[in-house]
Amino acid sequence: MTIEPHELDVRPILRGGGDPFQVIMNAVDNLAPGQALRLIASFRPVPLFSVMAGRGFSHQEEALGNGDWAVLFTPEGQVDDVRMSAGDMDLNGWTDPVRQLDLTELDPPEPMVRILAAVEKMEAGEVLFALLSREPLFLYPELAKRGHRWAGNFDVTGEVYRILIRVGKPGHHVGA
Amino acid sequence: MFGATLSRWTMSYFAAALAFLLIGETMMVLGYGYPAAAIEAPETLALVHTIALGWLSLLMAGALLQFVPVLVGRPLCCTHLALPALVLLVAGIGGLVLGFVGLSGSIDLPPIVLPVAAALTIAGFALIGAAFAVTLWRARPLPLTARFVVVGLGALVVTVLLGGNYAFVRGGLAEADAAIALTLEGVSLHAVLGLGGWLTFTTMGVSYRLLTMFMLSPDAERRSSRVVWLSGSGALGLVAGVVPLILAGSPGRLALLVPAACLGVLAVVFYASDIFRIYRERRRREIELNTRASIGAFGALAAATVLFVGLLVTDRMEQGIGSLVYLVAFGWLTGMGLAQLYKIIPFMTWLECYGPALGRTPTPRVQDLVVERRAFGWFRAFYASVLIATLSLSVGAQPLFRLASLCQLVAILVLVLEFTRARRLSNVPASLRLPTGAQRPHLFLPSFQLWRQP
Repeated sequence: MTIEPHELDVRPILRGGGDPFQVIMNAVDNLAPGQALRLIASFRPVPLFSVMAGRGFSHQEEALGNGDWAVLFTPEGQVDDVRMSAGDMDLNGWTDPVRQLDLTELDPPEPMVRILAAVEKMEAGEVLFALLSREPLFLYPELAKRGHRWAGNFDVTGEVYRILIRVGKPGHHVGA
Repeated sequence: MFGATLSRWTMSYFAAALAFLLIGETMMVLGYGYPAAAIEAPETLALVHTIALGWLSLLMAGALLQFVPVLVGRPLCCTHLALPALVLLVAGIGGLVLGFVGLSGSIDLPPIVLPVAAALTIAGFALIGAAFAVTLWRARPLPLTARFVVVGLGALVVTVLLGGNYAFVRGGLAEADAAIALTLEGVSLHAVLGLGGWLTFTTMGVSYRLLTMFMLSPDAERRSSRVVWLSGSGALGLVAGVVPLILAGSPGRLALLVPAACLGVLAVVFYASDIFRIYRERRRREIELNTRASIGAFGALAAATVLFVGLLVTDRMEQGIGSLVYLVAFGWLTGMGLAQLYKIIPFMTWLECYGPALGRTPTPRVQDLVVERRAFGWFRAFYASVLIATLSLSVGAQPLFRLASLCQLVAILVLVLEFTRARRLSNVPASLRLPTGAQRPHLFLPSFQLWRQP
């Protein structure tokens, strides 16, 4: 017996010029365990995808016409197969991500370039969260060479790969 | 440890493979081997092995060094085997080709050349095969695409053992009745398992992964792809099952080969529908030249399958086998190989050269290493030459075949020049070519930085 998704239509808020973000987050907080959220908006709420992925929801989009979109955010059950960088990994000690990137629409190897550019600008110990449409196999060795730690896995649909990257201390040079 | 690092010796494998391709094309232009000579003549064997082993197998081995880790998400084990394997394979394949030329009587060689060259070739395949096998074994449970490679490697084992037996019999080192029976009757099995198993089936598996990656198509495992794997594996298993029948001198070969042919055709039909779907469901609207140029190869595979069925039904296999093998080796396998090299070489060059500088300084894109509109016409010329050469083989027009081979040689030479320009960063604007931290790659040898990689 599955619970019906909770439906939230934020088009009236958007038409009134308001920001529905807090309303959406409240709705998420009030979902029953395992319950999905069906969000209706007057645009494709791309920034929300990585926020919701960070909270453990995968998403399915549906264009309703007239520029309106319905997005079903489904909480993930058992997610397995976490891949991590070598060495001592205690994810509990990691801070919340300070940067979030949705790179799902980019052609390879562009996501790798964007991620490496983003981590170059971050402080040691800060965490980046990124969504990709493929597992970034060639990125891992590059992160390792630069002294960064990472953990990632596919979402429940198997179509989006999420990766957390914790920036290492500077001073790591090529070949070191 | 997860991920894929750059393969150190892949570019050297590609260089050796392309050298063999150019030698093979030159042989055809000069009228050496089939169709000027008989299909079973030593000259034809020299030509066929220059292409199937020298070009296609070295290309596949080099590509797998880079792609087995991509298929299983883990680095390759025993990477130190890649170089000795390459040395053994080049020496062995070169020796085999010379040995066949010696059999034709045009040069005087001791009969021992053929078995020694076969032993070197088998040793080379054993080394590289071991590296793949250990990597795949440790990555279990394997994704479907990697299971194609497993079956392809199994077909390679049977193929090289049959070939080795042939070389030892011709070299006068094996005289057992069973070995002689295998030499007489096993040639077609050797060809089917080599071209259809090791080369075609492995290419299919790798293509699923490469195409979905390049076009951003959904890459979840589908039932239709599992049907391709099951029916293809079944077909190859049945063909390999004929070997013990020959050894035992038992009848019943047709009972295995007819269902094998049906299963093989079924695998290609499902594979074609999968490929069509991957192109149709792509999220990337504009496709790059390597994926456009692959369409010709898929067309050639479809045409070869139709031709195969036609020859079987009309009982004209003996007359049409030359055209069929040519279409598979050049239209499908060579077309696919050249098309994918057009992407793999720039990508590996980009990662080797700019990897250390990524994110730290502006770097070119992978596309900046090539000029697609310049190469596009040469891919068309290549496929046109394959079409004309196939038709001229089927009507026995030898001069036309040599002319088409000349066009093909020119097209391939230009494409090799394009690969070289990509390696040399010639197409990258000078201001972007070598930013701080970037490292100019060698043409086909590993750079110092790759030597130091774990």
